[in-house]
Order: sequence, then structure tokens, then C-alpha cells
Amino acid sequence: MKWILFFGALIGLSVCGREKFFGDQVFRINVRNGDEISKLSQLVNSDNLKLNVWKSPSTFSRPVDVLVPSVSLQPVKSFLKSQGLEYSVTIKDLQIYREMDSIAGDFPELATRVKIGHSFENRPMYVLKFSTAEGRQRRPAVWLNAGIHSREWISQATAIWTARKIASDYGKDPAITTILEKMDIFLLPVANPDGYVYTQTQNRLWRKTRSVNPGSPCIGADPNRNWNASFAGEGASDNPCSEIYHGPHANSEVEVKSVVDFIQEHGNFKCFIDLHSYSQLLMYPYGYTVKKAPDADELDEVARRAARALASLSGTTYQVGPTCTTVYPASGSSVDWAYDHDIKYAFTFELRDTGHYGFLLPANQIIPTAEETWLGLKTIMEHVRDNLY
Amino acid sequence: MPPRRQPPPASGPWGPRPAVLLLAPLLLLTQQGVAAAPVGAEGPEDSPGLQDAEFPSGLLQQAARAALHFFNFRAGSPSALRVLAAVLEGRATVNPKKGCQVDLVFTTDHYNPEVGEEHLGKCSARVFFRNQKPRPAINVTCTRLIEKNKRQEEDYLLYKHMKQLKTPLDVTSIPDSHGHIDPSLRPIWDLAFLGSSYVMWEKTTQFLHYYMAQISSVNQWKTNDDTIDFDYTVLLHEFSTQEIIPCRIHLGWYPGKPLKVKYHCQELQTPEEASGTEEGSAVAPTELNNF
Repeated sequence: MKWILFFGALIGLSVCGREKFFGDQVFRINVRNGDEISKLSQLVNSDNLKLNVWKSPSTFSRPVDVLVPSVSLQPVKSFLKSQGLEYSVTIKDLQIYREMDSIAGDFPELATRVKIGHSFENRPMYVLKFSTAEGRQRRPAVWLNAGIHSREWISQATAIWTARKIASDYGKDPAITTILEKMDIFLLPVANPDGYVYTQTQNRLWRKTRSVNPGSPCIGADPNRNWNASFAGEGASDNPCSEIYHGPHANSEVEVKSVVDFIQEHGNFKCFIDLHSYSQLLMYPYGYTVKKAPDADELDEVARRAARALASLSGTTYQVGPTCTTVYPASGSSVDWAYDHDIKYAFTFELRDTGHYGFLLPANQIIPTAEETWLGLKTIMEHVRDNLY
Repeated sequence: MPPRRQPPPASGPWGPRPAVLLLAPLLLLTQQGVAAAPVGAEGPEDSPGLQDAEFPSGLLQQAARAALHFFNFRAGSPSALRVLAAVLEGRATVNPKKGCQVDLVFTTDHYNPEVGEEHLGKCSARVFFRNQKPRPAINVTCTRLIEKNKRQEEDYLLYKHMKQLKTPLDVTSIPDSHGHIDPSLRPIWDLAFLGSSYVMWEKTTQFLHYYMAQISSVNQWKTNDDTIDFDYTVLLHEFSTQEIIPCRIHLGWYPGKPLKVKYHCQELQTPEEASGTEEGSAVAPTELNNF
């Protein structure tokens, strides 16, 4: 009993203020005798840990499936280990896909969850499509990309918050309402699902995909160096062990190819925004060259307005400029590809912070970040709405 | 935590274009904490062919960061850590054969965001990057923000707090995956950051700069009557390559005394180490880096 209190107390405080954390897991626990069942029952019944039994044991030989919220993962693992209870983790990363489904269910007239492909490890790639169009109209569209670098958790978190925000504010906020009357919005919250699961289960700081590189012990390519825009140019690496390895060829990463194929098949995208972290920057093409993009002046002006709107909420300051000179040279990036494929309004956000917590941004900054970013996103989308081409 | 406020850059994304350094403001700055790193045998002044040439964007910020890491290390105070606010002015002279020298003035802020009011400090520095070699030579002076005695008082409070922590520390990573640092463990983070400052100073070049991403393990934590003996592994994030570099750091600290640091970083990329947190065999420090 002492065990439960100890472990429960560890996370009691964080559970009280629980926001939408990701990374809930289902533990399949083997119970071999009555003693183990009773230990497990104590664990499950403990209020603090907020565990949820999915499948209870009827006999000793069948395992118990328990849903463990992400905040409780550590104490539960420690408990099971200390009690000698065997377990395996079955379903990973439920939260975001469930939430997408829930949004589509709550707003059926507006939102649909669309599968656009799959990852290297065969996970589905889901986008949420927001559309008020009738029939088979192919309206001009906006693509919101998030989570391409799996360790940048604020990106996926901001995206899924934004998804619900778009749906809830339609019909109430004139800005998003008029935007959706003219354009469709496609939102991909987890562009790199394999990487994302890996950050939750094995290595919090994993960045790339999880594809196998023949002949190399190193895994994965940088999905944001894999697009066909000056592929393998400056600002990428040909070493599979590098964090910025561009991959064997453009679109070699199935996650990238899925998006490319979808956007090209659609043919009417006008805006592409990619969410990353960290540094607090709002950038536009190019990353692969210092040469000025033909629309740089207009993009710069829009970006500055968006940064001002973002800052208006909590004073968070973003620096604005072309990617190459604002952060570093980067070839094969999504935003450069979009721009070179007639998607004029192409922007990269590097969200909070500026290095104090970096990738490990505290959960209590998720909503403030999402709320301020929303103002920036709306500014951009309003401009697109008013400048369709 | 309130975001750090930075004044918008005067022009360009990386701050003001280099301007001639005004000497007058320098003389007005209080002489507190003058810190100097050993300069190489020949300074840039000795060599012919100096020129104001093109330099990589962000060089001024690079120099400011290096100077601050060095300053924090020399100050040796986990309660008085500073972070870059903005570069005010700077000038760089490049010697293609030797490296480049940057003279600059920048403002700083408290590292710990919990501290109430914004208390901007000001530093001037001369930073010499030897052609892409580590260990930039640094001369940095900063305005005195906290009186020396008060700073030592705060450090001593930290020290007492750390002495009370139960050992062995029952922690794996700090912060956890969700960025949470238990308030009782915050001093450990600050002390780790202090030790990492030494490492980050040494490793910063014109092109490479680092952030401390996470403490991935605490190997040893001993509090004696005259030192805190802290052996830990930290994950540094290098920005331009996006690499995660595990570094084993062993430091000794006591309020008011100079910090002692030994470290060893895993530089070579091997399978699965490319993104850090390879909880692994303890890497014994192979060199005594302290000076």
C-alpha cells in the first residue's frame, strides 16, 4: 500500500492541472497469480494515477490491458518493475489521433479526417480537412504542417489545439469564418508519426524519420531536407548518421512523398505553413540560397504583421526574415518546395522558446504558445484570402 | 514563464549592422568581473592584411553567446547566471588565416525567469574565434548587477538547500519529457548549467553554438562541508548541425570559490547516438580541462 501512496504522490500535483498531454500508452500486464492481481488492483484503484482498465483479468492466464496517461508512465513503470510484474506496451500515441477523430465527430459539417498515406513503420498519416465547400469543389487551400521533426513537441501540440480552435470558432469569429468561406484548410498535426512515437518511448530528442538506411547502422533521414528543392544542396548532409541527412534521394521518405503527392494531386494550394521549434522566428523562402525570392518583399511584410499580431497577446517577440540568413542554410525543405511549386504564401514558424527549455518546453506553455501563434496564423490566412491568385 | 523580451533588431534579423565600437560607453561601465581567457600567441593586431570582410550572419550573436558562457563560468555563481538579451553594437575584423575578432556590446537578462523584475545588465566583450577551432579567446566586462555579498548569500542558500537533498537523487532526466523540473531540483539544473557553461564556451566557434537540452543522468551527487561534488551527463544541442551531444561533466563547487570542471563529450557519431540519450557506459574523463 505504501508503494501506491509513494508513486501516486509523485505525479499527484501534475495530474490536477492536466491538459491534453500526448503519449498515453496501453500497458498489457501479465498477472500470474492472485497476489499479483491484488497488487495490480491497488495500482489501478489509486485515484492519483488515473489509470483506466480496458480489459480486466478473468483468469490468471490472461493479461490485463490498462490505459496509462502519459504523466503516470514513469511511476507506473517503476511500480511494475519493483513488483516484478511483466508487461508490454501495446498501443502507442493514442491521444492525437483520437482527438482528430473527436473533432471530426464534433463538427461533422466542417471537419473530416482524411488518410493521406502511411509512415515507414506503417502508421497512418491523417490530416484534418476543414471545408465549407459544397460538392466536389476544389477551393484554394491552406496547408498547415506540424511535427515533421518529432522532438519539437510544441509543434504537434499547437497544431492539434489549432484544429479544435478552427472548428469551434467557425461561425463565431469573422476572420476564420470568412477565411473558410473562400478557402479550405488542411492540417497535418503529425507529419512524422514514427519519430513522434519514438520520442515518447525511446528517445525524447529524436528528430528524423525511422527509415532504414541500407549499409548504415544509423536510422532515419531529416524529413525537412528531403523535399525536391535544391535537394542535397548546402545545409544538408549526405551522412546517414547526421541529424540533417537528406536521404538517398528527394521524396525517399514516404512521409514526405505522401504530402507531396496529395498537394500535387489537389493542385490548388495557395499557402503552406510549417511549424517547428525552437527560436521564435517567422521565416519565408529561401533556405537553399541567399538569393532573394521574387515575392520576398510581400512575404516579409505579411510575416512582420503576423509577428506583431502574435506578440500582441503576451509580448513574445519573433524575428522575421528569409530562412537562409535568419537561421541557417537549409536545402530540401518543405517550405522552399512549396514556394517553388506555385504556393506563394510559404512560411516557417520556429515556435517558443529561445533556448532556455528548447525542445523540452514545459506543458504549461502549450496553450499560451498556441493562442499567440493562432493570431499569427490568422493574419497570414487573412492576407491569402484577400490576395488569391 | 514570461518570455524573454528582446528589443526588435535595428536592421536585419541578427541585430544592428556592425558599427564602429564607441569607446566612451565602455569606460563608464563598472569594472566588475573582468574575465579573460588565454589569448593565443599572436593576436590579430600582429598580422598584416586585416580587413573588414564579409562574415557569417549571426556572428555578433555567436560572439555574445561565447562571451556569456565564459562570463557565467568565471562568475561561478548558479544564482547569478545571465542570458543574452540583445546585441547593441558590434564590429568584426577578419583575418582569413587566423580567425576573426569581434568587439561588441550586449545586454543580458536573468537566466532564471522566476526572478521578478527584469534587470537588464550590460556587457562589453572582445571575442577572438580562431579559424573554426574551439576555445575562443574572451575578454568580457559586465555591469555589476548584484552586490558581491548578496550574490554569495544567495549562493550559500542554494548550497544549503542542495545539502539537504536526499541522496541518492531519485531522478533520471531533468527536465522530464514534458519540460517539468521539480522546484526542489531547480538548483541542480542551475548548477549543471553552470558546469555546462564551461563546456559550451570551449566548444563554441564562429559557426557552432550550443544550448543545454537536458540532464540525462546524475551519476554522483556528494555534498561535503567544503564542496559539492557533481558528476552528471548533459545533452547539449548544437544548433547549426542540430546534433545532440552527450557530455559527461564532473564539477566541484562551493560558494565564492572558482568552479572546477572536468568533462568529456561524445563527439563521434555512432548508431543511435546521433540523437543522444544513449544511457550508457560511463565515459571516464580522459583529460583534465580545468584551468
